Amino acid sequence: MRRPLSVPARLAAAAIILVAATACGDTTTNPNPNGFDATAVLADAPSKVIFPTYVDLEAKANLLHTAVVTLDASTTDDNLAAAQEAWRATRRPWEQSEGFLFGPVETEGIDPSIDSWPVNQADLNAVLASGQPLTKASIDGLEGTLKGFHTIEYLLFGTGLKTAAELTPQELEYLLAVTESLQGAVTQLRQAWDPADGNFSATVATAGQSGNSVYTSQSQALQELINGMIGICDEVGNGKISDPFDQQDRSLEESQFSNNSNADFADNIRSVQNLYLGQYGTSSGTGIRELVQAKQPSLDATITAQTQAAIDAIGQMTPTFGQAITSNQAAVEAARAAVGTLRQTLESQLLPLASQ
Amino acid sequence: MSRVGPSLLLMTLALVAACSDSTGAGGGGGGGGGDDDELALAGGTMTVFDATSTAFKSPAPNLSQESLDRHIAGDAQFEATFVSAPAPVNPGLGPVFDNTACGNCHINDGRGLAPAPGQPSPSLLFRISLAGAGEHGGPLAVPSAGTQMQQRAIIGAMPKGSGAVTFEEVPGQFDDGTPFSLRRPSYQLTGGSAPLPGGVLVSPRVAPPVFGLALLEAVSEQTLLVAADPDDRDGDGISGRANYVWDPITGATEIGRFGWKANSATALQQTAAAYNGDMGVTSSYFPAEPCEGEQAGCDRHDPEVSDEIVGLVQHYIRTLGVPARRSLDDARARRGETVFANAGCAKCHLPELRTGTFAEVPEAANQVIRPYTDLLLHDMGPGLADGRPDFLASGSEWRTAPLWGIGLTAVVNGHTNFLHDGRARNLMEAILWHDGEAAGAKTKVLGLSQADREALLAFLGSL
Repeated sequence: MRRPLSVPARLAAAAIILVAATACGDTTTNPNPNGFDATAVLADAPSKVIFPTYVDLEAKANLLHTAVVTLDASTTDDNLAAAQEAWRATRRPWEQSEGFLFGPVETEGIDPSIDSWPVNQADLNAVLASGQPLTKASIDGLEGTLKGFHTIEYLLFGTGLKTAAELTPQELEYLLAVTESLQGAVTQLRQAWDPADGNFSATVATAGQSGNSVYTSQSQALQELINGMIGICDEVGNGKISDPFDQQDRSLEESQFSNNSNADFADNIRSVQNLYLGQYGTSSGTGIRELVQAKQPSLDATITAQTQAAIDAIGQMTPTFGQAITSNQAAVEAARAAVGTLRQTLESQLLPLASQ
Repeated sequence: MSRVGPSLLLMTLALVAACSDSTGAGGGGGGGGGDDDELALAGGTMTVFDATSTAFKSPAPNLSQESLDRHIAGDAQFEATFVSAPAPVNPGLGPVFDNTACGNCHINDGRGLAPAPGQPSPSLLFRISLAGAGEHGGPLAVPSAGTQMQQRAIIGAMPKGSGAVTFEEVPGQFDDGTPFSLRRPSYQLTGGSAPLPGGVLVSPRVAPPVFGLALLEAVSEQTLLVAADPDDRDGDGISGRANYVWDPITGATEIGRFGWKANSATALQQTAAAYNGDMGVTSSYFPAEPCEGEQAGCDRHDPEVSDEIVGLVQHYIRTLGVPARRSLDDARARRGETVFANAGCAKCHLPELRTGTFAEVPEAANQVIRPYTDLLLHDMGPGLADGRPDFLASGSEWRTAPLWGIGLTAVVNGHTNFLHDGRARNLMEAILWHDGEAAGAKTKVLGLSQADREALLAFLGSL
C-alpha cells in the first residue's frame, strides 16, 4: 500500500537545505557525494537486493496461484491453510520491497494492481453475485481495490476463521483469476528491473554517467535509495501502526483479515536492513553500509542496532497487532518509537552523508 | 507522530534567509538576474532541495507547525483510495469516475503519462462539451454526458464512454537539416452510458504536477494583468489574456490560474472539482454526482467527503515545496538560459514573478518565485488546438505551463511526455509543437545550432 511520504521528505529537504545553504548556492551535481565512490553500492542495490526481491516475489506469486489451483480442485481445510500460507509467503518479498518504492512500481502504475487498500467489498460482492465469467483479463480490467494482495487476503481469510466449506464456487473462480492477475503484475515489475528486459537496474547502477537522464549524479541515486528507506519507516511508524492505533480502529489495519501485520511491518524494516547490508536471501553485495563505513564509521553500529531493535519491537506486539492496539498498548507504543528512532537516524545522519 | 524539531526548522530557515539576503532582488523578467544562490530558489522560501523521485511531494521547508500538521494530514487524504459505498473506509467512489485516488493520476504528485495507442491511460481524462457557452459562460454540457467523460464506473453503473488515441508521425527538420518527428494524436471516443452526439468537442488532458500552488495563488491579479497584452499593443505577436472563470465556491467570476486552460480559479476549486469529476466523490462544494440525471444511482446529494478533508488536500497541494533549480555552475545550462530568453520563450514563460500578501498561506507571501509562467492564455496555433472553448479561453488558447521542476520529470515520473495531452515525447518536441503566438520563438529554435539546442535543453533540464 502506498502511503504518504511527508515527514521524511520534509526532513530530507531540511537536511539537504542545511548542506546546500551552508555552501550558499553550491547546489550543482557532482559525480560522487563527498568524494565517496558509490559505484559498487549503486550496482549492487539493484542486482543484489532489488531485482532478487522481485524475482522471489514472482516465484512466490506463482506458488500462490498453484496453491489456489489445488484448493479449487480439492477444497479442503488443509488446502485452504496451504493457500493462506502461500499468501503470507508471497507477502514477505512484497513487504521487503517497500523500502524501495521508486522506479517502475510507481511510474508504471503497478503498485495499485498489487497492493491497493482498502478492498472494495461492495463491488467485490457485486462481481461475485453477477455470475459473469471471471478470467485474468476480466480481473485485470477491474480497479486495484478489486485485485491484488488484499482482495486475495479477504477471499482466503474472510472476516472470521474461514473454512473451506465457506468458500463459494464464485469465490474460488475469483481466486483463480485474481491470483493469476497478481502473477501478471509482479511479473511486469520483475521485468521492469530485469537486466534482460526493462533494466531499470541499469538506470540506478549508471547514475552520474553520461547518458543517464534520470540520475545525473551518484549522490542523487544514493539519496533515492535512502529516501526509500526513510519512507518505509515513516509509513510503518506513522501510517500502518499509528492510524489504527491512534484511532483505535481495526478497520484501518492493512492486513486485517490475515492478522499478518506484525510480519508485514517487520519485513518492511527488513527491506531497510537489506538495502543497508546489500543483501537479499543468499544474494549479497555492497550495501549502503559502505557509505557509512567510509564517511562516518561510528554510525554503523547505531543503524545496525536500531534496525534490529525495530524488528524486535514489532514482534512484541502480541498476540496480534489488531488486538495489541487495545490490549497491549505499551508494546505498540514501543514498536512505533523504535521505528521512529530508526527513521530519525536515517534522516538526520545517513541522508546527509549522501549529499554532496 | 514525529515532527521536525523546532531548532532544526529554525536553523534551516535562518540559513536560507542568509542566502536570500546576500543579493538584491532579481532582475525582472529578463531571464537570469540575481546570483546563483537566489536563482536556485525556484519557490522562494518554499524551495526544497530534493532531486529524487520525491522532489514534487515534499512539504515546503518553511511551514509553521500547524501548517505542517495539516499538510501531513492532507498528504494522507491525497493518497486515500476510494471505494464504493457502503464501506468503513473511504466510501463514495463513483458511480462514474476516472480514477480512485488523487495520487493514482498525479503519481508522485507529478505529471501524467499519455496513453499508448489503443490503450487506456490512468492519468488522462477527456473534457467534453458542445459548441457555445453554458451556465456562467463555461463549457456547454453535453446532454446526458456532462462536461467530462468518465471512463470508469463502479460495478452496476456504466462509464460514460471510452477514448483511445492513435498517433501519426509528422516529419520536420531544423534549419541545419537535422530531422525530427512529432507525433500527432487523434482521439476516438465511444459513448457508454449514453451515445455521444455529433459535434461533441473533446479536450484530452493529462494530470499536471501539483506542487507550489500557494505561490501561484499568491501572485496578485494585478501582477498578472501587468503581463497581459490582450490586444498586442506592443506588436510583438504575443497577446496574453487572463481567463475569467466562474468559481461556484465563491459564487463569483474570478481570474483563472489552474488547469490547462486556466479554467479554475483556486486550489480549493481545483481540489473539490477533481474529487467530484475525477473520482465521483461529492462534497458540499459539488453536491451532485457527475452523472446526475444520466443513469440510475447518480441522483443522491449527500456529501461523500467533508469540507475538512477537501480543505486538507487543498492545503497539501498549496504547501508542497518547489524543487530547487540545479546545475547553476554548468556553463552549457547557463548559456541555454540566454538561448531561452533570446528566442523569446521568456516572454510568456516569465522567469520571475513576485507574490503578494496571502493570508491563507503566509509562507507563500511577498517573495520572488521562478515559475516560468505568466498564468495567462496564449493562442498556440491549430496544431495544439483542442477546439473546445473553456470560459474565455478559445479552442486554441492554453495557459502558459509553469516550467519549474520540469527537468525532474524523468526521475519523478519515469517519462518525459509533455503538453496538455502528453503528445510530446521530450522537451524539444514540446517546444516544436508551439505555434500561434509562439511561432516566432519556434522559428528561432528551428534556426539554432545543435550546440545551442543542447544548451537550451540543458537549461530546461536544470529547472
